[in-house]
Amino acid sequence: MALSREEAIQKARRDLAQRLGAHESDIETQGVDDTDFPDTALGASVGDEMSGQMITPGWRIRLQAMGQAFEYRANQHQVRLCNYKGGNYSI
Amino acid sequence: MNRNKFILQISLAFFLILIAALAGQLRRVQKEWRSAVRIMPGNSEPYVVFDPNQIDETREHSAPEVLVKFRSGVSGDAITKITARLNDRVEDEIESVSGLAAIDDLDNLEAESIAAEYRALPEVEYAEPNYEISLDHDGGGFKHLHPNDARFSEQWALDNDGRNGGKEGADIGALRAWVTTTGDDDMVVAVLDSGVDYTHSDLQNNIWIRPNNIKQYEDRQLGSIEDVHGYNAVENTGDPMDENGHGTHCAGIIGAEGGNEIGISGVNWKVKIMPLKFMNAGGFGNGKNAIEAINYVIERKRAGVNVRVISASWGTRLRSRALEDVIRKAHEVGILFVAASGNDGVNTDLMPQYPAGYDLGNLISVAALNRKDELASFSNYGANRVHLAAPGANILSTWLGNEYEEHSGTSMATPMVAGVAALVLSKRPQLSVDELRSTLLNSVDRIPQLHGKVSTGGRISAAQAIGGE
Repeated sequence: MALSREEAIQKARRDLAQRLGAHESDIETQGVDDTDFPDTALGASVGDEMSGQMITPGWRIRLQAMGQAFEYRANQHQVRLCNYKGGNYSI
Repeated sequence: MNRNKFILQISLAFFLILIAALAGQLRRVQKEWRSAVRIMPGNSEPYVVFDPNQIDETREHSAPEVLVKFRSGVSGDAITKITARLNDRVEDEIESVSGLAAIDDLDNLEAESIAAEYRALPEVEYAEPNYEISLDHDGGGFKHLHPNDARFSEQWALDNDGRNGGKEGADIGALRAWVTTTGDDDMVVAVLDSGVDYTHSDLQNNIWIRPNNIKQYEDRQLGSIEDVHGYNAVENTGDPMDENGHGTHCAGIIGAEGGNEIGISGVNWKVKIMPLKFMNAGGFGNGKNAIEAINYVIERKRAGVNVRVISASWGTRLRSRALEDVIRKAHEVGILFVAASGNDGVNTDLMPQYPAGYDLGNLISVAALNRKDELASFSNYGANRVHLAAPGANILSTWLGNEYEEHSGTSMATPMVAGVAALVLSKRPQLSVDELRSTLLNSVDRIPQLHGKVSTGGRISAAQAIGGE
């Protein structure tokens, strides 16, 4: 099922809260930008994942918690956490 | 000024105006005559068919609507009865192909509907509309062939006339190439991607169907797969239906049916697209499934399928020896592998992307150009690892739901090259994979801006690869 922008933000906030062991209310949404990503994995491939090399529109979701900034990327198909502890994660 | 001189000057002015008006009329007549010159498929010389301003009125008296191949054993009398029953008439039998007839419709139906009527008959092997094809010349004296697809004017990659800020002539030279060949139904191109919507009305006639004489796919570990159209490595089934759209877009660039009056034209008007699915609805997949799908292509080739090209509009930063090995194996069986250089805007000689970055004799790595003939801002490049460029920005092609969408990426440039490869093979099927690769790389249109960015310094040219007239 296609994700809406609001559903993607909600999914990202919930994921970050779980990872940090925090409450969702502790997660601050700093901004959400419409962005063109370089590929269908939103420029955040996980492991040896192959992705279509097509410019893919989506949302860059900037969250903050415990004094740290976190970046999620999403479109109607997926939500990804970027560069968290050195890796990317598909949520 | 005396009276006589004044009258003389007035007369001279009137005479000059008259000459100018006549010249204008002559140019208009000449232009109309040129646009009325058309050729029919298979004819080498153009001939006047009709005045284009009277297409509907003259239709039943001009070109036949459909070409129908009746099955062997169907007699001439039977053919006459069938056509009469459908209120049609046989305009001509094509003697060189037994059972093939050009048929006129007397009801003014659409050619595709008439062809469908015939296809439904048990006596008919195939039926296809008799596409109208127009031929003209450009300023350089080259012949051109224009398809009648409804949105062809939006396909700047095939014919860039300078519209929408484009640069005239910054295209792959398709119109010139098509004078020589528009493709071949026997040529199979594997689209290794998110699958293909094989029911799309601009693709369905160009989708590969496993011939009866080729057994269904058997894999010792994966088992038996009923591969009617291709292979789905995500679910290990024979149904490669696209759930993302990316693969359908790439397939349309290679081989959306040309000259069928709808949508767009692929680089090949006719070809066989073999859909392979290894990326899911999100548009991503893993290396193992990519390898399984390439292995499928190799095995199909060994079984007798004439698959000559794999189009791979995807990539990763991680190098896989196994993926490299299976692409090398494809080389051994004569398959060209065309790969996207990637969309990070970086030099891949320093930051390689795979599979485009493998140094293999059957691999072509492709960068993307915009409609101004500039390297697209997102496109990767590399004087060693990227071989040539092709149009890849704002490319209109087929999409899910029988739709069309514009997309950008080296993903779009890659099938442009794979399509040209198939077009070259349709004319010169005897070429080895090494010869094919050399032909494509040595026939590029050189563009100063690409010097030092791609190894050939040029844009793919279908016209030059084929040797357009």
